[in-house]
Amino acid sequence: MALLRRALAAVSIAGLIAIVLRLRSGGGTPPQSGGWRELRGPDLR
Amino acid sequence: MKVLVQGVGAVGARVARYLVANDDVTDVLIGDSSPRLRTSVAASLGSRAQAIDTADDPAGAIAAAGADVEVAVLATPAHYQPELARQLLAAGRHVVTTADSIPAVRSLLDLDAEAKERGLALVVGATFGPGLSCVLARHAASLFDSVDEIHVAHHGTGGPSCARQHHAALRGRGLDWRDLAWTRRPPGSGRELSFFPDPIGGADCYRAALPDALLLVPAFPGVSRVTARQAATRRDRLTAGLPMLRRPHPEGRIGGLRVEVRGRRSQLHDTVVLGAIDRPAVAAATVAGLAARWVGAGKVEPGARGLAASVDALPFLHDLSEAGVRAAVFEGAAESM
Repeated sequence: MALLRRALAAVSIAGLIAIVLRLRSGGGTPPQSGGWRELRGPDLR
Repeated sequence: MKVLVQGVGAVGARVARYLVANDDVTDVLIGDSSPRLRTSVAASLGSRAQAIDTADDPAGAIAAAGADVEVAVLATPAHYQPELARQLLAAGRHVVTTADSIPAVRSLLDLDAEAKERGLALVVGATFGPGLSCVLARHAASLFDSVDEIHVAHHGTGGPSCARQHHAALRGRGLDWRDLAWTRRPPGSGRELSFFPDPIGGADCYRAALPDALLLVPAFPGVSRVTARQAATRRDRLTAGLPMLRRPHPEGRIGGLRVEVRGRRSQLHDTVVLGAIDRPAVAAATVAGLAARWVGAGKVEPGARGLAASVDALPFLHDLSEAGVRAAVFEGAAESM
């Protein structure tokens, strides 16, 4: 019984860690300069 | 030129509307598994559109109707398209497909030998992404002496079929081209913060079962790395392994594309980043409709290929721009993106 409880606890903790790792986000740096420019007439010739 | 549009959902109905608005298309035949839908779409488009009962055999239905169709646009769910394309090629029709899944795109590319033998064009994946993404990659590549890497990122979905495909892609393994070999990568891995044209801005993108590399690698011989990622929210990722918890929306919000091409010009390594934003179903329909017009005008060589290998990018982007689908270039610190 104790072994079963330990196994369940281990699986639960592993699952929680997996969910946290899967859902964590953030990171990356936005462009510090420059920007988007639409391609217009002269660009498309 | 007469065109068959098979499947008139969010994309197909707009393909038909785009074609009817162009004078080089004389007639548009509308096929769909729903008699009510095909009839109502045809009625809304005026006298140049006609509903046709294509059932599972569009080529037979075209022949029975005595219609001289040159090009067929397939806008059905992706998994139906390879068999429909095979039937239409056998009946001597050019085909433009909107398939956006790896199995469907692979099956369609396998029809290359048959299409070439019959002297017919089979355009594979003519949508927003893939499709416009391939044209942007081709245009960016033209600015280099040689291309080393292509990285594509998608944001947003079009109609319900596109939303289902987006959901399925997030639980399917990604397909990357790395060091001149195919590699399968776990879904949801490889998080990258990509910056799309405004107003979308930054979004976390992940590996998913996207067909872009399948279409781009044959078009750029010698390219060493091609990857594709898809923007996803926490909820998208958490529920990716489950059935869709609610019905997909009839129409997606604004979506975006970002195509980064790295290569060499004048012996220097450089990076070009192109992008686009639009409502994905609208842009996809314009790309598919324009591809059909180009095929009908004889501007596309026989064979089964993606748009990167099928069209001349600048004139195609020019025609798209005239139809309201506009691309953008990032100017500035591309390395920090």
